[in-house]
Amino acid sequence: MAKNVLLVDDSSTMRKIISRSLRQAGLDFGEIYEAGDGQEALAMLEKESIDIVLSDINMPNMNGIEFLREKANRPGIKDIPVFMISTETGDDIIGEAKSLGAIGALKKPFTPDKVNEVLGPLM
Amino acid sequence: MNSFAEINEKLIESTIEIFTGMVMMEISVAGEQLEKLGTLKKSITGMVGLAGTHKGLLAVHFPQPVALAVTSNFLGMEVEEINDDVQDAIGEIANMLGGNLKTILSDRGKDIQLSLPSTIFGDEYAFSSQAEVDQIILTFQAAAGSFTVEVELER
Repeated sequence: MAKNVLLVDDSSTMRKIISRSLRQAGLDFGEIYEAGDGQEALAMLEKESIDIVLSDINMPNMNGIEFLREKANRPGIKDIPVFMISTETGDDIIGEAKSLGAIGALKKPFTPDKVNEVLGPLM
Repeated sequence: MNSFAEINEKLIESTIEIFTGMVMMEISVAGEQLEKLGTLKKSITGMVGLAGTHKGLLAVHFPQPVALAVTSNFLGMEVEEINDDVQDAIGEIANMLGGNLKTILSDRGKDIQLSLPSTIFGDEYAFSSQAEVDQIILTFQAAAGSFTVEVELER
């Protein structure tokens, strides 16, 4: 069954680009939901049926690391997988994200081929 | 830290990678500008700040017609005026370039923090730093016109 995806990024442009890249990569997914920061993402996860989250790190209000930390404390949503898509791909910050439950990371900029290679197995 | 020549080279590679891979626009490097930029006219600037072991900023300056062409390509739809979409797209380009600059300046970007991107635009404005800085100014050429990537790092 196709997975519902939540895109979390403060840039509406980047949400559109990721959404387009998922389509161009030919991946099989269901609904695409969008959130502008970690707080909006938590609310969306509580409300909608979402199978996987693709999240930026550097965001206002609640960044990607704070989002992972808060999500880990919420029993109803803590097991939904989160994949980071960010300009922030240093070992230290990605290590922290993974220690908080992130299942992987993709660096911006990316191409549809890279999206297919990295996210294809998760869809 | 890499030498300035290495930073130049990697910044050129990063800019071309972002434009060909994500904006879907062919660009070429038009050269390094030795003089400071003058007054920017009918332009939009996206920028991010750097803090930590390297302090400074990265800015990308687009004449407004070039910014419209870049945003139209980036979003895959026609954009005819400077609006929220254009500001967001130009800010995101600065953000991606800033992320790459972090990695260029320090091993895997450790110990450098990147601010959230911001944009400014107007009919006429100047862009200058009050601190003593080392500066890189690179000009790129696209079909719609040229644009400039500027890096300022505190000495």
